[in-house]
Amino acid sequence: MKKLISTLAFGMAALTGVATAQTYAITNGHLMMTGDAADPGEIVNGTVIIRDGVIVAAGRNVTIPDNAEVYDAGGAPVTPGLFSPISGLALEEIELADDANDRRVGGFPLSASLKAADAINPDSTVIPVSRSAGVTRAHVGLLAGGDTQFGGCGALIVLDGSMDPLIKECAAQTALLGYSGARRAGDNRAASIAMFRRALTDARNYARDPYLYNQRWTEGHLPAEDADALGDVLSGDVPIIISAFSAPDIRRTLDLADEFGFDLILYGAVEAWRVADEIAAADVPVIIDPMTNLPYLWEDMGATLANAARLEEAGVDVAFANGETHNIRLMPQMAGNAVANGMSHLGALAAITAVPARIFGVEDQLGTLAPGKAADVVVWTGDPLELSSRPRVIFIDGKPQSLDSRQSALVKRYRNLERRDLPTQYYGQ
Amino acid sequence: MRKTTIFLAACLTLAACGGSGDDSESKETKKKDGEAVAELPDKNPYPSTYIRYPSEDVVITGATVLTGTGTLIENGAVVLHDGKVAAVGAADEVDIPDGAETIDAAGKFVTPGIIDIHSHLGVYPAPSVSSTSDGNEATSPNTAGVWAEHSIWPQDPGFNRALAGGITSLMILPGSANLFGGRTVTIKNVPGRTVQEMKFPDAPYGLKMACGENPKRVYGKSSPSTRMGNFRGYRDGWIDAAAYKKKWDVYAEKIEDGEDADPPSRDLKLETLAMALDGEILVHMHCYRADEMAQVIDMSEEFGYKVSSFQHAVEAYKAADLLAKNGTCAAMWADWWGFKLEAYDGVRENAALVAAQPEGCAIIHSDSDVGIQRLNQETAKAMADGNAIGLNITPEEAITWITSNPAKAMGILDQTGTLEAGKMGDVVIWSGDPFSVYSQAEKVFIDGALMYDRNDPNINPRSDFELGQIGQGPNGGAGK
Repeated sequence: MKKLISTLAFGMAALTGVATAQTYAITNGHLMMTGDAADPGEIVNGTVIIRDGVIVAAGRNVTIPDNAEVYDAGGAPVTPGLFSPISGLALEEIELADDANDRRVGGFPLSASLKAADAINPDSTVIPVSRSAGVTRAHVGLLAGGDTQFGGCGALIVLDGSMDPLIKECAAQTALLGYSGARRAGDNRAASIAMFRRALTDARNYARDPYLYNQRWTEGHLPAEDADALGDVLSGDVPIIISAFSAPDIRRTLDLADEFGFDLILYGAVEAWRVADEIAAADVPVIIDPMTNLPYLWEDMGATLANAARLEEAGVDVAFANGETHNIRLMPQMAGNAVANGMSHLGALAAITAVPARIFGVEDQLGTLAPGKAADVVVWTGDPLELSSRPRVIFIDGKPQSLDSRQSALVKRYRNLERRDLPTQYYGQ
Repeated sequence: MRKTTIFLAACLTLAACGGSGDDSESKETKKKDGEAVAELPDKNPYPSTYIRYPSEDVVITGATVLTGTGTLIENGAVVLHDGKVAAVGAADEVDIPDGAETIDAAGKFVTPGIIDIHSHLGVYPAPSVSSTSDGNEATSPNTAGVWAEHSIWPQDPGFNRALAGGITSLMILPGSANLFGGRTVTIKNVPGRTVQEMKFPDAPYGLKMACGENPKRVYGKSSPSTRMGNFRGYRDGWIDAAAYKKKWDVYAEKIEDGEDADPPSRDLKLETLAMALDGEILVHMHCYRADEMAQVIDMSEEFGYKVSSFQHAVEAYKAADLLAKNGTCAAMWADWWGFKLEAYDGVRENAALVAAQPEGCAIIHSDSDVGIQRLNQETAKAMADGNAIGLNITPEEAITWITSNPAKAMGILDQTGTLEAGKMGDVVIWSGDPFSVYSQAEKVFIDGALMYDRNDPNINPRSDFELGQIGQGPNGGAGK
């Protein structure tokens, strides 16, 4: 109990701006993810020093600066902030409310040139809900419209509640192969790959000569804007997340990456374990839902809870997402289930921290507790992957964060249902 | 009084309707020799043919036992005999039958079989394609005449995955497109070639109803297109049902009085609703908003029926006192929210706040072929969130949210849902604390028979659909 009170006091002082220290020391923590994605590392009884928004030290035998505000973690786990690799966070406030959902794209002629960054809503209540569960960064993107294969550029955002949460405007392009791609191309896999090839060929032609491309453009080819956007994929400036599920589709997608020379990130990939060695050899990271184990379509027949562990064993970089927005806070549960089915604990933790940072090209700034990185730090009440654990203290860029959200306000209001002097709407504001 | 009882006379439970295969109609007509008797509809025309599988006597010792009655027993023993729970208690106080097989479960946990009150397994199976989409008869706001059991595909691999998560009984509901969606059915999670082989003997039927956005969205171009339209639809349905019930009661009464009378024509829709008015079919209503739940409770009083459970009940925490007072359970997710406006106010403390009311009845449900595989984990989160605001929920209480409470709301608590002598031998042995993410169901007994063993590939069912495919077992299976 004592610990909780000191935590609250600690957070409150910082938030109200009263004598806000720029230097913090989290002592006596079980530091997890002190290395890198390949070798995550952990240090028991460690200290993290945060100065001016950056981790300046993480380890044992660390000298605590005189001016540091000290927080004793009491042996509790300390991790980097969680990093969600795929969702509609800040785009999708309510999934089935058209005016509160900018993740879906209805009938619209452009695709690859769309930018999630243009629709980011920094006031989304899903941000504090996710942050209070330890999520500090997210890659967010649009869903490809019904007739198109490309979802446009996903953005990287920080969940600190700021008006401009963008940290990378165009972190990855997205495309659909597998059955969801096929549905958009004559309901046929071969057609969907032909459609994809044509799009990249369009992009190549556009890059060579935009004027000629426009002159010769005919119906069915990419509009110039989309061809231009895919040029960044061909040049290797922007990676592309391609969803593919079956082992054969994954192999075809690896071939396409070879053919066109783009940076591939596989998404979905329920049968990735069957071709784990090929994926590892191509050095392609994979974003999976480790809880998928049902054959929803014929491309999922090999779905198994062992996918994550088998990919890890083959040396593939694995990150976790199910594509859902409102519960990206459940990434630790995904990771815990991966561990229950054979993955290493640190490997599973890396899948929700360091690996996404690496996938989206910000591994030098985020994803671990290494000195020099942005101070996104979470102190947990227990094992971060355990169902009963919750964040106790959260820093983003070295600033203590509020653990409040619209949901905590609702709970405060309805904790007590007894009739009071005024209606409920007067309380808990 | 006789009027209401006559409609019920055919059977009070499915058992009396010939759960073992008897023809209730003939039973009824034989009642009075030589006299004309009422020709009442057969209330159980698709009877359960479930027969428990053979079992050995088993003693599970040394485990921490969460009984489902609110008790935790350290170093406990659970004895299964003849398919039933024979004894439960401290290991050194329980009589162990001669020749019983002993399972040393030291360090492990034992719970009643897990019960999911909200599943669409079989009616929305995997593979999930249009030809298997059999869960929503979204053709009319009132489809009370459809029965979920007629849509269930017994080969849904989801049943097997759920078994690996400790699920021993589940209620399968029609979807929520309609005001009156149709009849639910309760099954035992034992694979069968037919649905009848899976049907839980003697379980009452349920009636699925739906509040709010779904019916509005589906029928918006006709009616209902508003929430007031929804209520008009429900009330019209109940008024028709009451009139229908009366017709049959009058008919039966005439026959009883020796008068000549022809039976009224049957109406499947109204037959189900009339049985719900009689309390013979339990009402389970999909409802998110607290204010709508309050309206529904008033409606149930208007027509004299009871709502057994609100399903999803995302805002149950705002009306937890009302639900407790009315004796209505709330079946909830641990943390789903935000997918539609009526789910916008979801909070993770929902179940705990419902449970915290005196006589509060909280249930964690899945409504998902993924969630059903780990209702223990969903419960763990809901318990932790309650404890984070100081509600002091113990594991022995939390386990009731997925055992005895759903059993109560489904009307099967007298048969399963707790580890008490005389109940069905529906038991799960967990590798550790079931509220840890790392624990898994190791052995699952249904009516005393070992139906799932994580460490024995032979005790691990595979549906026809997955046979001969690359398909993997629930815990990694082939190729591991």
